[in-house]
Amino acid sequence: MEKIELSIVVLVLIGIIVSSGTMYYTTTVMSNLSTLTSDVSTLTENVLNLTSTVRDLATITGTLAEAMGEFTETLTDLEARLAAIEASLAAKAKETLIVGTTDSVEATLDPAQAYDYFGWCILQQIAGTLVSVKPGSITGTDFQPELAVSWNRSTDGKIWDFTLRQGVMFPDGTEFNATHVKYSFDRAINLIPSIPDGAPASLGYDQIINRTEALSRYKVRFVLKDAFGPFLGIMACRSSAIVDPAYAPMAQVNYTSGDPRGSTAAAFVAPYYLSEWDRVGDKDIEIRLDKNPYYWNATSGYPKTKTIIFRFYRDFSTLRLAVEAGDVDMAFRQISAIDALDLEDNPNVKVWWGSPGAPLQMLCFQENHAPFNDSRVRRAIAAALNRTAVCVTLFPGLANPTYSMVPPGMLGHTEAFKKLGDLNYTLTRSLLAELGYDETNKLKFDLWYESSGHYPLSAEQALMLKQQIEASGVIEITLRPADWVSYRANRNAGIMDVYIYGWYPDYFDPDDYVFLYWGPWLNLHYDTWSPAAYAEQLALYNEARYSANTTLRVELYSQIEDISVEQCSIVPLYLMPPWAVTKRNVKGVVLDITQDMRYWLIYIGD
Amino acid sequence: MGLRSYIITRILLTIPTLLLLLTMVFLIMRVLPGDPVYLHFEKKATPEQLEQMRRLLGLDKPLLMQYADYLLGLVDFGYFLQHGYPNLGKSMQNYEPVGRQIFSAFPATLELAIYSMIIASVMGILLGVISSKSYNSVLDHLIRGFGTIAYAIPVFFLGIMFQLIFGVHLHWLPTGLRINPNVQPPAQITGLYTIDSLLEGNLFKFFESLKALLLPSLTLGIILSGMFIRLTRTNMLETLRLDFVTAARARGLKESTVTYGYALRNAFLPILTMMGLQFAMLLGGAILTETTFSWPGLGSYIVTRINYRDYTAIQGAVVMFGLFVTLVSLVVDILYAYFDPRIRL
Repeated sequence: MEKIELSIVVLVLIGIIVSSGTMYYTTTVMSNLSTLTSDVSTLTENVLNLTSTVRDLATITGTLAEAMGEFTETLTDLEARLAAIEASLAAKAKETLIVGTTDSVEATLDPAQAYDYFGWCILQQIAGTLVSVKPGSITGTDFQPELAVSWNRSTDGKIWDFTLRQGVMFPDGTEFNATHVKYSFDRAINLIPSIPDGAPASLGYDQIINRTEALSRYKVRFVLKDAFGPFLGIMACRSSAIVDPAYAPMAQVNYTSGDPRGSTAAAFVAPYYLSEWDRVGDKDIEIRLDKNPYYWNATSGYPKTKTIIFRFYRDFSTLRLAVEAGDVDMAFRQISAIDALDLEDNPNVKVWWGSPGAPLQMLCFQENHAPFNDSRVRRAIAAALNRTAVCVTLFPGLANPTYSMVPPGMLGHTEAFKKLGDLNYTLTRSLLAELGYDETNKLKFDLWYESSGHYPLSAEQALMLKQQIEASGVIEITLRPADWVSYRANRNAGIMDVYIYGWYPDYFDPDDYVFLYWGPWLNLHYDTWSPAAYAEQLALYNEARYSANTTLRVELYSQIEDISVEQCSIVPLYLMPPWAVTKRNVKGVVLDITQDMRYWLIYIGD
Repeated sequence: MGLRSYIITRILLTIPTLLLLLTMVFLIMRVLPGDPVYLHFEKKATPEQLEQMRRLLGLDKPLLMQYADYLLGLVDFGYFLQHGYPNLGKSMQNYEPVGRQIFSAFPATLELAIYSMIIASVMGILLGVISSKSYNSVLDHLIRGFGTIAYAIPVFFLGIMFQLIFGVHLHWLPTGLRINPNVQPPAQITGLYTIDSLLEGNLFKFFESLKALLLPSLTLGIILSGMFIRLTRTNMLETLRLDFVTAARARGLKESTVTYGYALRNAFLPILTMMGLQFAMLLGGAILTETTFSWPGLGSYIVTRINYRDYTAIQGAVVMFGLFVTLVSLVVDILYAYFDPRIRL
């Protein structure tokens, strides 16, 4: 075989091998491919199955989800309904606050007439003022906007402009505006001659305000007769509450028995409105306040309790029993201080204490009765007092001794009377010795106290003061009691030598305190027997009253106090705090210097 | 004299009694020392203010004119029909009609008086009868002791004890007021909460009113029952000794019939008189009970008016009280004459 033939055989063999290989490879590949295809098929099938399964699963899941959804919906619905029922029950119980009190509205709920604590308390819940004192205030002069959103005063202090809140509605759909403010103050001043005992008369609205002008729909101007420093304090008083002209005739006070709307001139622009007022024999039986649906501040969640019901008890012991029995949710004015202290150990009630602030007790001297026209006698008696002992013994942890007519924290507070000291018998004896009094020739006088419960523990206070003063060895005291009406009449007639008296302020400024040293209605004849001192103090007082300069006012009040220590026409004794007793679940009680109870803040919690 | 004649005679005799009462009240209020107008004012009043108040109250008129106005006001039936209360003048506190104030307080007193008298009478008479029947036994001594203690115990003390036990500790009953503070009083028809709630068809309010009534009427009822126990016992002992009682027993009547049907009926007349007088006293207001339970009745009203030196209101209240006593005495006398014809002779 030639080379060519050999080459061909080799090529053929190679070809055969390659072909075989290729075929083998191809076969293998084909086989693999086939397997692969088969696998792919299987896979595809599986995938299809899986897909189907997944689809089924999805379907099942969907069904399940649907079922779960329905179940959840049902459960949620049930829970919601249950919660609603529970909330409804709880809300019902929390919707009403029952307040027990021994107070009562003295006359009417007309801002032009009402001048008693409880009347003002109700007016605060139902009637609006341009400004108010912030809850929790220590000084009583932290004013906040109410029916006025802003205010400014002219540089001379005689003009006050208030921008009124817009959108405040009366229940009949009338929008509150400047004409209502003007009408309210014009009416208050107009009624002064016919209501001489009313608040506007007592606060001197006609002497302070020259005129009120409605500058525009939402702007009102007060033109004063003179700059008046505490003007905002007056604006926050309940006697400055806005009236509804439909129920407040200009020339008279309206009172329709059994008709809550017809029983008050107040415009219902506050958290509550008066929905019921029952009186029997001129004493309150029930007062009901309901949430005012038109209250401008309702979006802030006020009032927190929908309904307040006041129930009236004859005396503090019955009120205490009612609190302990759970008949009332809250008791405010008056549970006695001793009962309140005792109730602190009761696990079912909570006692809320305010800080000693506004109500003040003081000792008054009738200068028309010799020798009380001599300031040495008055100073001698003042020096023999021990205020701390009275506070600790009779009002433990409650009352604070005070050496100034102005409460602590308030502008113008000093400790002036500390100059005389407490139990300063050396001073007492030396002063009285100048007038010929000693152990053999004692100074004798009557110390009067109020005996019908108008002031707390009056008889006990008087007894302690007697013991303290008599311990000087040169004074002899006879205690004389009188019930409140007689006490007042005796005061007016000027027949009481020395007597204990109290003061609840109308507004929280030293202006409403320091004038007590010569308070005209106290009838102490201070102006007659100490004319120079009286004139000087009055001049200082008027200068402070009509000044806008705080620093100057502080200085002026300090000078008044210094003169008062020398004169001792009246001696400040102690300050009492307010207190309230509630069930444990009552929250939101705020007791500050104003002594006000802002019921719209109170709620029944868990 | 027949019963009708007796009644007419008694009514006619009541008129001078009433006139004397009204005149005495009028004069006493005017001769008392002190000027009520002066006492009214918070601050020292000016002469003009004092004059204005006297004018408003009619006190500036001559005494005879005031007396005439006073009497004419009382018999002004037109005024009574128009207002539903008599003209008793105006309160010095706020110039409100005193008649309206008194008539608003009266229903509470009436309700308390009725329930107290029921408790006092039933308890007193029953125990008195039992005591008389068990003469000189341990039971008799116990009942007599109870009667003495009941009569001697101060009403405010018993009231406070009940409040503490049933109100504060057991929480069974309210400690005061005419109805639970959480419950709205029934709509006023008669002014008696129990009756008004029944008229309203509200049983819940009825029971709440009863709950509130229970402690004060029980207090007052127990105190008064002491008197009735002793009186019933004494009268029954006397009556049980009489021949007709022995005769009744001899005829074979049941002992209960003899006791209650015969003896008690005859012994009842003095008890009836006492019941009438006590009821009249209660109508004037049980001051201590009303104060203890904060019951807004006539007693509370009078105390408040005295505290305020509201002379016209005090005068009006005294007049009404006198009228109640006179009327109740009249009714008692008539009943007495009905039960005992010998009285009419």
